[in-house]
Amino acid sequence: MTKKFTQIRLKPLLVAFLLLGVLRSNSYAGGFPVRPHSLLLSPSVSYFYANKAWDSGGNLHPFDNNGHFSSWTYQLYTEYGLTRRFTLVAQLPYVTNTFEQSNFKNTASGLTDLETGIRWYVANIDYRFYFMVQGTVITPLYVNNPSLGYGLTGGELKLMFSGSMKMFGTNAYFSLENGFRQYISSTGPFQDRYNGTFGLNLDKQFKNQISVSVGGFYSNSSNKQFLPAQYYANKNFSFNQVSLSYGHSFSREFSIFITGGKFITGRNTGDGTSGSVSLVLRPF
Amino acid sequence: MKKGRFLVIVCGLLSLLSFKRAVAGGVKTRAEGDVSTEVKIHDSDGIFSGTASFTFSVKNTMDNDQAGSVSYQLTTEKGEKVASKKISVKIGKNSSESYDFSIPNLQTGFYKINFMINVSDYDDTTRRAFGIRPKEIQSAYARPADFDEFWQKTKDELAKVKPDFKITPLPKMNTENRDVYEIQMRSFDNYLIKGYMTVPKTKNKNRKFSVLLGLPGYQVDLAPIVGLDQDLAIITINTRGQGTSRGEIDVRRDEFLTYRIENKEKYVMRGVIMDCVRCVDFIYSQPNLRHDNILATGGSMGGYLAIALAGVDSRVNLSSAQNPILCDIRGMVGEVDWPISSFKKYAATQPGLTMGKVLSNLDYFDGRNFAVNVKCPFIMGIGLLDPFAPPNNEFATYNLIPGRKRIMIFKDLSHEISSKYKDLEGRWMRDAFALF
Repeated sequence: MTKKFTQIRLKPLLVAFLLLGVLRSNSYAGGFPVRPHSLLLSPSVSYFYANKAWDSGGNLHPFDNNGHFSSWTYQLYTEYGLTRRFTLVAQLPYVTNTFEQSNFKNTASGLTDLETGIRWYVANIDYRFYFMVQGTVITPLYVNNPSLGYGLTGGELKLMFSGSMKMFGTNAYFSLENGFRQYISSTGPFQDRYNGTFGLNLDKQFKNQISVSVGGFYSNSSNKQFLPAQYYANKNFSFNQVSLSYGHSFSREFSIFITGGKFITGRNTGDGTSGSVSLVLRPF
Repeated sequence: MKKGRFLVIVCGLLSLLSFKRAVAGGVKTRAEGDVSTEVKIHDSDGIFSGTASFTFSVKNTMDNDQAGSVSYQLTTEKGEKVASKKISVKIGKNSSESYDFSIPNLQTGFYKINFMINVSDYDDTTRRAFGIRPKEIQSAYARPADFDEFWQKTKDELAKVKPDFKITPLPKMNTENRDVYEIQMRSFDNYLIKGYMTVPKTKNKNRKFSVLLGLPGYQVDLAPIVGLDQDLAIITINTRGQGTSRGEIDVRRDEFLTYRIENKEKYVMRGVIMDCVRCVDFIYSQPNLRHDNILATGGSMGGYLAIALAGVDSRVNLSSAQNPILCDIRGMVGEVDWPISSFKKYAATQPGLTMGKVLSNLDYFDGRNFAVNVKCPFIMGIGLLDPFAPPNNEFATYNLIPGRKRIMIFKDLSHEISSKYKDLEGRWMRDAFALF
């Protein structure tokens, strides 16, 4: 199941296209092109918590019987540059979901949805702004376990636009992406997933950066029900969230990111708060 | 900042002369105030499709009115008068005035325009240049029919010279992240050529680096280029008669350009261009260098060499020329002082040598004539006020390049380009070499 609340994904540090002879590349991932034959690995751990939910009218209520939902996600994200234009992308999450009420507790753990895709570097503007298209296949690694997700195969087409520039006296970057995802079943769902990130490098050595993101899901299905105990199996919902991230680069090969996020609006979904720590490793 | 300092060094090394910024406007200050002027060209690159338009602004902060005239004189790049206009003006005390000028129906080409102000307490002239449909500019002169044959023969002769590549570590010049080497090789006429190579330190013994080949400006002694880059090997080559490769061509600065121009087989630039080719041979001989990721770049004579090298050696993958000299040379006669003055002076002092013969030989070394063979992606930077590499001649060369190309125009600069060009060059190179 792929209803990700934490939006744990790699935040691209600015692509440091600098000057002759002092060129450095500090792009870590995201909506930027990837160097051929280079590998990026990003293990991460994230925590999501909600004890309130928005109903179908967007009204916020506590879960019944002091209920709360929590989720730990251990994930490996990877990118491999195939050629100058094409990048292989994969994501493998292991999730432990817990829904607990006064007299009820349900915990489910397991590998959820494997995502594998190809990203195509379509074009650029002035070698500064990049257009990408990514196709992804969603493959459930579990069977008939609604506590982990839909258990459905799906596909996603994602459009990405990213770039870097000078701003506020430092180097800044942005990434905009919108994905259209369809799960294969009579009730879908069809989802529109969007995310916008703006980041600033805090020093000229590209060691430290902060970024703010706004993202969300709009999931539509003829199945309108909302079951908190099967949080990731709900199909008709929407939410928007903001997140703040700090990244520190120890070297070109090793960085760490800490991210916190909070839902700001929703429908048929929990009012989530999240936190995550991710590493970025570039072995070659 | 370290990077900034480095840029200054690089720009300095790869350029020919010390440059000065063109006059941006005038100002006269008195205790009671001043008069200042500014010319605004109504196009960011100074390029128009037909009608050129300008605004001449005058600011008077003095305590008295300023009366007199504002005028312009428009000439071709060769100084032929095209148009002029003069208007009477009166700028009240502590006030500003702006005057709009439009000049219609101009022919394709570049023009010089001088804006003059002559008022009660202030006289000044501001020089500007602009272009009309420059991508339509074509040289009036032909390429020698045997141009390619001449250069193939030259390369064949070079191939007979055993290169004897030699690499000498210079550990005292190593930086935190780079190893520095002196390189040397035998080139055309068995001339000994020296240069430097700096390579990022890496634990990966199999890693291959893309190459930035820095070509020298006129009589510039190139030094090793270091810096923070982790992806590029940087080679700087001192071609014959320059810096550490001076050798027997140990002539005075002015005489280098005309060295043996009376014979195109012996002209110094024949060897200089082959020195660049030999440097590509060197790159191809090194297993730790990418043979398919070579950027040739330089300013002034280095820019010329970037065109010439890409024109005679298809192993160059990217070419970047900043303010290249020696482009459309015949078109420069009557248009510029240097380098034509040096050729005229030399022709006048050599028995039996005529300027016609010099120009005839120079046809084999004209950047324009190499341009048609530049098949790799190419970028060029020019200054509209460049007195050595005028925009007409630069465009006459640029327009002939058949492949993917881009030109960056600096309307207020002379024989120089700004850091914007180097920013672009870096991004362009990284994108082409997939050094993301």
